Amino acid sequence: MNRVELRNISKSFGGIAALKNVTLKVIPGEIHALIGENGAGKSTLMKILSGAYTKDYGQIFIDGKEVQIKNTHDSKKLGIGIIYQEFSLVPGLSVAENVFLNQLDTTGFWMKWGKMKMNAEALINSIGFSINPSLKVGDLSIAQQQIVEIAKALSENVRVLILDEPSAVLGPQEIQKLFDTLKKLKKESVAIIYISHHLSEVFQIADRITVLKDGTSSGSFPVSETDRDSIIKLMLGRSLDAMYPFRETIIGEEVLKVVGIHVAEKVKGVSLSIKEGEIVGIAGLVGSGRSETVRAIFAADKRKQGKIFLYGKELQLRSPRKAVSKGIGMVPEDRKQHGVILSLTVKENISLTNFKGITDHFGFINVKKERNNTIELIRRLAIKTENEDQEAGKLSGGNQQKVSLAKWLNRDCRVLLIDEPTRGVDIGAKVEIYNLINELSQKGVAIVVISSETSELMGICDRIVVMHKGQVQGELAKKEYSEENILRMSIGEVENATSGQLTS
Amino acid sequence: MNFKISLKRYLQFIIKYNTVFIFLIMLVVSAVVSDVFFTSTNLFNLIRQVTPVGIISMGMLLVILTGGIDLSVGSIVAMVGVLCALLTQTMTLPLAIIASLACGLLVGSLSGYLVSVHKIAPFIATLALMSIVRGLGFIFSKGAPVLVSENASVLTDFGSGNFLSIPNPAFILILTFAITAVLLKYNIFGRIIIAIGSNEEAVRLSGIKVSAYKFSVYAIAGGLSAVAGIITTARTAVGSPVMGVGMELDVIATVVIGGASLSGGKGSAINTLLGVLILGMIGNIMNLMNIPAYSQQVIKGLIIIFAVLLQRFQGSSK
Repeated sequence: MNRVELRNISKSFGGIAALKNVTLKVIPGEIHALIGENGAGKSTLMKILSGAYTKDYGQIFIDGKEVQIKNTHDSKKLGIGIIYQEFSLVPGLSVAENVFLNQLDTTGFWMKWGKMKMNAEALINSIGFSINPSLKVGDLSIAQQQIVEIAKALSENVRVLILDEPSAVLGPQEIQKLFDTLKKLKKESVAIIYISHHLSEVFQIADRITVLKDGTSSGSFPVSETDRDSIIKLMLGRSLDAMYPFRETIIGEEVLKVVGIHVAEKVKGVSLSIKEGEIVGIAGLVGSGRSETVRAIFAADKRKQGKIFLYGKELQLRSPRKAVSKGIGMVPEDRKQHGVILSLTVKENISLTNFKGITDHFGFINVKKERNNTIELIRRLAIKTENEDQEAGKLSGGNQQKVSLAKWLNRDCRVLLIDEPTRGVDIGAKVEIYNLINELSQKGVAIVVISSETSELMGICDRIVVMHKGQVQGELAKKEYSEENILRMSIGEVENATSGQLTS
Repeated sequence: MNFKISLKRYLQFIIKYNTVFIFLIMLVVSAVVSDVFFTSTNLFNLIRQVTPVGIISMGMLLVILTGGIDLSVGSIVAMVGVLCALLTQTMTLPLAIIASLACGLLVGSLSGYLVSVHKIAPFIATLALMSIVRGLGFIFSKGAPVLVSENASVLTDFGSGNFLSIPNPAFILILTFAITAVLLKYNIFGRIIIAIGSNEEAVRLSGIKVSAYKFSVYAIAGGLSAVAGIITTARTAVGSPVMGVGMELDVIATVVIGGASLSGGKGSAINTLLGVLILGMIGNIMNLMNIPAYSQQVIKGLIIIFAVLLQRFQGSSK
C-alpha cells in the first residue's frame, strides 16, 4: 500500500496556477526523488503535504486513508516531517533544545537538561554525526544545522520524511553520511521524498523519480528503467513560442565591466562585461549567487573584493545612492519587499528614484509636474491602475512589477540590472515587460537580466552567463542556446571553460 | 439590509476619521460636564498648557514616521530650560537663546548619529540620552531651579503674555504645525520620511541616502524640544531640572492618539495636533472636575488604550 498518495492536487496563487492535477505515490521504505526546474512546483507540492499551504483541489491519502491537512500541526500528527531549504531552527537555543523543541518533557517542575542532552546526542550519533548538544545552533555551520534539523524530524518518529534540497549546503563527505542515514531510515520503512536539482545524486540514492514540469507531473519512473538524458528531456521540452518579441540588436562600446567580485560565501570571483544595447542573461539555480552578484554591483550588499568599471573608469560604489548617481539601476528580485512600497501610491513610488524634475531648490514638489510625469509613465508602461494615486499594494503582481520598472524609466539609466523581471506575472504583462526591456536596450541601455525561467533568458538575451556555486560556470552565445545546455551548466555538469575542471 | 449597509458605512466613516471624532466627543463631553470649560480663561490656560507638548509632538511625529522613537525629549526640555535661564545671566538674550537651541539640536543630532550611523535601536539610543541629558540638567543647575536674569524681561514677557488673547507661545506651536504639515505634504523631505517608515530597504534600493534622513528627524526633534524648553522657562521665569519628567510619554501618546503608527509610515500633522488637544482636554476637564491627580493618570491611560484600539479597527477594516 502507498504510504503517501497525493491525488490530483491543484493550487494557485493569485490566479496563477502553481500545481495542476499533480499525482504522487510514495511507498514505505522508498526514496522517491522529486525533480524539476526552479518554479516547477516541487516545493509547493511538499508544502501542501506538510501543511504549510492548503490545497485548492485534490485528495491526500496516508496509508490508504484520506486525510485533511490544514496546518503543520495536522501533518505532524500524521508522522510527516519536512526539512526545508530554509531551516526552522531557533538560533539562540542549544542543539538539544532545538531537537526536542516540540516535545519538551513537561512532567515535573524542573527541565531534565541532562536527559535531554543525552537523548539528543544519541539521536545525532545514530545518524552518523557528532555535535555537542550544548552548543548554540546559531554557532554551528550550515551543514551541522542541517543535521540538527534532520535529528529534530527523527525525534518526532516520522513515517514520511521530506527533504527539500538537502545537499545544497553539504560537502561531498557530508552528503555521503546523509545518504547512509537515509538508507538506514529506508530499512525502518520510512517513506522518503527527496527534492533535488542534482541528477547525479538522484541516480545514486533514489528508487523512483517523479518529474514536475510547469506545475504538472511528467510521470514517475523507477531509476532502473530510465536514464539521465530522458529525465532532462522531461524536465525541459517546451518549445519557444512567439512570446518573445523580435529586436534588432545594435551593440556599442563596453559600458560596465566587473572584475573578480566576491561576496561573503555567496559569490566567489565573478567577472562580467556588458556593452551598450546588449541584454545579458544570468542563469543559475537558486543559491548559485546570481542575485548576490547583481546586488553587489548595485552596492546593495558589501562586496569583499572586486572592481567595477563604467566606461573604463573604476567606480568606488559604497551605497545604492552612489550607484544610482552613476546611472546604474536595479529592479530587485522581491518586488513586494524591495521593488515597490505597497502602502504608498503609484505616483509616490515612481517619484522615489528621481525628484530632480519635479521639485524646486527647497525640495518642494510641483504637484502638477509630478502628476504629469507619472501619468506619462503609466501610459508608456500601460500600468493598469485607477489613477496615479492608487495604492501600489492594490495593483496586480504584473502591474506592481511595471511600477518597479517605471521607477528606473523615470531617470536615464546607463545600466539596468533586472532580477526576475516576470516572476509571478501573467503572460500578457510578461510580453509587455519584454517589449519594454527591448525598447530600453535599443536606446543603448546595457541590461542584465536574471531569471529562473531559462526559456525567458533564451528569448530575450543576446548571451547567457551561467552561474554555479558562486562562480561563472560558463557562457553561452545565442547559437549555443538550449535549455539542456543551460541546465547542464547550472547543475555543474559541464566543465568550466576558464578553469577546465569538472565539478560534477 | 439597507439599514445594515448604511450603518456599516457610517461606522467606517467614523473609524476613518476617528481622531476628529474623539476630538468632537471630548469637546461635547467637556462642555456638558463643566460650565467653565468654554470660558476664555480656561481655554487660554488649556492652550498654554499644551503648547510645549504640541511643539515637540511635531518633531516626534517625524521620528515616529520613520519607524523610530525619541525618549530624550523631556530631558532636553529640562536641560535647555536650565541652560537658557543660566545663560541669560551671562550673555545677551539672543545669544542665550541661540546657544540653548544649539544644545537641543546637538543632543538630537547625537541620537540621530547613533541611530543612523551605528544602527543602535532608537529606543535604546534615546533612552541612554534621556538619562544623560537629565543628569546634565541637574549638574548645570546644581539641582536647584535657576531664575531667569531680570535683564531678560523680554523673554519672560513673551512667555507669559498674549496677543489677540492667544498666548504668545501658541503662535510658535501654530508655526511649527504649519511647517510640519507643509513639509509632510508638499516636500520631498516628508515624502521620503514616510517612505522610509513604510519600507526602509526599498527606499535605500531606490538610491536614497536613508541615514541622512533618519539623522535629521532626530536633530529636528531635539531642536523642537529645545524650543519647548525655552518657552517653558520663559513662561515661568525659572529653569528647573525637574521640568518635563515623563513628558516623552505624553508626547508619544499624542502622536499615537493622532493615529500615527509606531511601526512608521503612517501619521499626519493635523491629526497629531488634534491628539495634542485631546490629551490636553482630558487633563483640563479632569482638573475642572477636581479629579485627584492619581486617578487622572489611570483615566488618561485608559483613554489612550481606547484610542489605539479604535485605530486597530481601522487597520482591520481595510
